[in-house]
Amino acid sequence: MTETQIVDAVSAEAAGVDIERVRQFLYREARLLDSGELREWLTLFTGDGLYWVPIDEDQPPERCASLVRDDGPARDERVYHLLETPFPAQSPPSRTVHVVANVEATRSAEQIVATSSQVVYEMRTGDFTQVGLGVVRQLVGQVTHTLVEQGSELKIARKKILLIDRDMPQGNLTFII
Amino acid sequence: MLEAHQSPVDQHRRSAPRDLVMVGDGRFRVHTQAYVSPEVFAQEMRQIFSTQWVYLAHSSELPAPGDYKTTHMGLQPVIVSRGDDGVVNVMLNRCVHRGAVVCRDQRGSANFFRCPYHGWVYGRDGKLTGVSMRGGDNGYGADFEQPDGLKVVPRVDSYRGLIFASMDPEAPDLREYLGRATELIDGKLDQSPVGEIRLVSQPYVSRYQGNWKFAAENIVDGYHFTFVHAAFIKLQGKYGSTTGDFHVHQGHSQSEERKYRTTGQSFATRHGHGLNMKPNPTQVQLVEEAFPEYHLQLQAQHGEDLATVLGSNTASIFPNLGIIHHQIRTWRPIAPDVTEVTIYPYEVVGAPDEFNQGWLRSQERFYGPAGHGMPDDVEIFALNQQGLAADSVDWLILERGIGAEKQVDNGDYQGLASGETPQRGLWRKWKQVMA
Repeated sequence: MTETQIVDAVSAEAAGVDIERVRQFLYREARLLDSGELREWLTLFTGDGLYWVPIDEDQPPERCASLVRDDGPARDERVYHLLETPFPAQSPPSRTVHVVANVEATRSAEQIVATSSQVVYEMRTGDFTQVGLGVVRQLVGQVTHTLVEQGSELKIARKKILLIDRDMPQGNLTFII
Repeated sequence: MLEAHQSPVDQHRRSAPRDLVMVGDGRFRVHTQAYVSPEVFAQEMRQIFSTQWVYLAHSSELPAPGDYKTTHMGLQPVIVSRGDDGVVNVMLNRCVHRGAVVCRDQRGSANFFRCPYHGWVYGRDGKLTGVSMRGGDNGYGADFEQPDGLKVVPRVDSYRGLIFASMDPEAPDLREYLGRATELIDGKLDQSPVGEIRLVSQPYVSRYQGNWKFAAENIVDGYHFTFVHAAFIKLQGKYGSTTGDFHVHQGHSQSEERKYRTTGQSFATRHGHGLNMKPNPTQVQLVEEAFPEYHLQLQAQHGEDLATVLGSNTASIFPNLGIIHHQIRTWRPIAPDVTEVTIYPYEVVGAPDEFNQGWLRSQERFYGPAGHGMPDDVEIFALNQQGLAADSVDWLILERGIGAEKQVDNGDYQGLASGETPQRGLWRKWKQVMA
């Protein structure tokens, strides 16, 4: 263990957070996304949970468009769209690997706030001789999970992804970031 | 970042661009090279983006003196800046000394622009106000021909807040240039009791690996929706307006959508603008039921024209402006096969907040890079460009609905809703200006 890790583990423990449990939760989420188990991914959220990828997090979402701002029905629709209705932007589909790092967490009486750094490697499959297919792209961002306890399980009340290029030109983001 | 992937093989590069559009008795075809040739692209930059009225900004982006944004006219970087007198200036973003850009930010407010290279200073109107270390034997002599300032684009004008510029001092009057498109713009802006829109949201910016004209053609294409957006129609069937559509889209099944896409009419104007105009009964009903006060206000202002004001009216304004739903869209050519599209959702000033929010959510659901509609269009543009690598096939066919097309009073063409009248308008204009 490096000195930093020790300090982080100590401060997480001091804050009453089981940091390993949080890490395992985030790793599991990443695995579900990368293996296409999207229905299972939906169950990680609370009923009124929010999945949010802002362009400008300081602007009110009522007046500023987000890259993604999905409540429960919209998340359900996104997953239905990906799994059951073929569409050009995912034909052929993307493969992804979500890499989760730099996990820290704090806890209050009601919730755990976990921050992490995330790199998503994404690639469209298909005829790699065609422009845009077979090219690995990276999406880099900071993620904040607001987690709550439901029974013995952690659930996501809010997931916010701040891409470093959120207000820059984007390519195809029709997979789950 | 996307890179240009041009084939070095270009057997048609010597044919004149005007020959790349085949117009004849019931025929209308466009040559592959019009989309792929680097020479054609270079000529477009000179003969289209340096002569026509190019859309640059909306006045709400520059509310106060000193406010500026940077953008492009074709490949040329420009600064759009509001001067002390409130007048909008458009200047080339290039120091007249040794050529560096003088502004590196996309938008902001500035008292002056200073070149980072040798410190030459320009006012909000582009006038050169200071040459650093000017005097002495190291500096500039008494006979130095000092430039006036940044090169100013000679024609700048606006229509209802939409700011355009042209590098051609002889360009026609902007209203004349816009022609029938002014009626569509009027209708859109008249959804506001005070006749104004306002850009508040950050825009969506996307890049795609395809020619800019695919974006210009597709925004007014009534034919593609049931194919490219077949999955979206299924989402509509399953989710309706529960996930944010705001009763914007009509079809909840293939047959409903097909029927809707053949409803309405289309136009092509003399200056290459394509219009597609359709009724939008569910929007009218929504406004009537959910926003009764607003509805009364609009009805008092527009009477029987209200259905048109709230219609689903779409424009592709040559060469780089799109207006659809509650958004201003602009496409920027970067290379023959690389284009950047910027979508600015707008608010209708004076409409209820919930109305503007509803529209924002609806457009977020369809148009963002993670949305359920626009990414499919962009994917198709890349597919088009990829397919055109098969350049031993000469022509693309744009003859849909040509038999039902007729020329009207002022020389505009009128066609049916899912024909290719708007696209033919673009290409007639293109043929004319590229000659």
